Amino acid sequence: MPIIEVQSLYYSYPGSKEPSLIDINFKANEGEFVVISGPSGCGKTTFCRALNGIIPVSYGGEFKGSVVVDGLETTKHQVYEIAQKVALVFQNPENQLFCTSVEREVAFGPENLALSREEIRCRVDEALEMVGISHLREKSPDELSGGEQQKVAIAALLTMRPKVLVLDEPTANLDPLSARSFLKLLARLNEEMGVTVLLVEHRLEMVSHLADRCVIFDGGKIVLDGPPREVLYSDTASRLGIGVPKAVLVAKRLKLQEITKAKPLTSWELADLVRGIKP
Amino acid sequence: MKVLAGFDYRRGKTPIHKLDPRSKLVYLVLYSALTVYFKNPLILLLLFVSTIPIVSVGKIWGRWGISIKGSVFFISFIFIFNFIAQVLSGSTMADAVLSGISMSIRFVALISIFATFFLTTSPEELTQSMVQLKIPYDYALTFNMAMRFVPTLGKEAGHIMDAQKSRGLELEKGNLMTRIRNYIPVLIPLIISSFRRAELVADAMESRAFGASKKRTSLYVLTMGSNDYLFIAISALSFLLLLSLNLFAGIA
Repeated sequence: MPIIEVQSLYYSYPGSKEPSLIDINFKANEGEFVVISGPSGCGKTTFCRALNGIIPVSYGGEFKGSVVVDGLETTKHQVYEIAQKVALVFQNPENQLFCTSVEREVAFGPENLALSREEIRCRVDEALEMVGISHLREKSPDELSGGEQQKVAIAALLTMRPKVLVLDEPTANLDPLSARSFLKLLARLNEEMGVTVLLVEHRLEMVSHLADRCVIFDGGKIVLDGPPREVLYSDTASRLGIGVPKAVLVAKRLKLQEITKAKPLTSWELADLVRGIKP
Repeated sequence: MKVLAGFDYRRGKTPIHKLDPRSKLVYLVLYSALTVYFKNPLILLLLFVSTIPIVSVGKIWGRWGISIKGSVFFISFIFIFNFIAQVLSGSTMADAVLSGISMSIRFVALISIFATFFLTTSPEELTQSMVQLKIPYDYALTFNMAMRFVPTLGKEAGHIMDAQKSRGLELEKGNLMTRIRNYIPVLIPLIISSFRRAELVADAMESRAFGASKKRTSLYVLTMGSNDYLFIAISALSFLLLLSLNLFAGIA
C-alpha cells in the first residue's frame, strides 16, 4: 500500500477564482525519494500543505477529492494526528522556529504529544545527533545561519518520528554550499532511516541524481511523473523552463543519445560518458 | 533607546544566572514595591546601591552600565517635569528640587532592578516558570514568542526602512509631525508582513502537533535549590527591615 495516496484532488483558496490544484492524482511508496518541481505559482506549495491537512483544515476554501496518508484521510483527522505521519518543512526557516533555544525548539513537538520526559530527552538527543547539530543545542535560532536553521527545523520534526518528510523549497534561502550539505542530509535520512522524502526544489542540478522519481507541476496539474532521466529528457520539461540540469542540456545538444543509450544527469556522469567515447 | 540594553539576555553561568526565575521574581516584586513606596532619596539611593552586588556576582556590568547610562537621558526629563509640576502645585523650591531628585533616583533604581532580573534570566526559563506558576501555556508561549521575534521584527523594520529610503523616503526631515508621518510607509508594510509571518508561524506550530494534548510535558522542570531559598530569605528580610523603618522610625 502506498504511504501517500492523493485522488482527484481539487483545491481553490477562499476568495480566489482560479483553482490552485486541479485533478491531482499522486502516489508515493514508503522509502521513495521524490523531487517535485515546476514554475512558480504552479501549486507545489499548496500541494505540500494539502499533505498534512492544514489545507483545507486551517485554510478553508473548496476542497474535493481525497488525501490519504498512512491510512489516515486528512479531512477526517486533526492536523496534529497527520503531523505525526507527515513532517512539513517550510521555505523560510525563520518563521518555523519560534522558541528561544534549539533544544526547546526540537523538544516542542514531543512535548505537545505529552510523551514522558525521558522519552523526549532521548528523542531530542537522537534527532540532534542524526542531523549533526548537537553542538548548537544551547543557541538561539536567531544566532544560526540559514543552513543551520533548516537543520534545526528538520530535527524538530524528526522528534515526532514521521514516516514522510515533505520539504517546500527548503534550500531557497541557502547558499550553494549549505544547500548541498542540506540535500546530502536528506539523502542520508532517506537511506538510513527509510523516511519517504518529498522535496520541492528548483535546483534540479543538485538533487535529480538523488531522487527515485521526478514530478513536474504546471498550472495546478501534474504534467510529468516518472524516473528523473525520463522526465528531464522529455520535451515538456525543456518547454516549461524548469531548472533542467546543465548536463542534460549539453547531452541533448550533443545528441549523445545517437551515440550511446545513456542519459547523464550530472556533470560527472556526462564527463565519464564523453571520456569513454572512442573516436 | 540604550535603556533597552537592560533586556538583552546573554547566557551565563554565575550563581545569579542559576537562580530559579521564581526566586528572582520574588526579589523583583518586593524591591519594585519598595522603590515605588519610599520617597526618601537616601532610602532610594540605598535600594539602587543594593542592586550592585547582584550586578557584580552576575557579571553583567557591561549591559547594565549601558542601560543605566541610557536612563540618564530620561532622568533630565523626569526631573524637569516633576519640578515644574511641584512648583505649580504650590510646593516650595527646596521641596520641588528634593522631589525631583527622589523621582530620578527612583527611576534609575527601578531600571537597575529590572535590568538585573532580565539580564540574568533566560526567556525560556522565564516561560517555564510561568507554566509552573500555573499560567496557561498559551499565554506563556505567547510571551516566549514575543521575546523570540523582537530581533526578527527589528531586522525586518531595518530592511523596510532601507527599501523605502532607496525609493526616496526621507525619514529624518521636517518637524516632529512630518517625521512621524514619514514613518507610515515603514509601519504599514511592517504590520502586513507581521500578519503574514504570524500565519506562517501558526502553520509551523500546527505541523508540530500543537494542541495534540491538553496537558503537555515540559522537557525541563525548574527546581528551587538552597541558593534560591537564601536569596528569597535575604530579599524578604531586607524588605521587612525597610518597612519597619517606615513604621517605627517614620521614614517614608
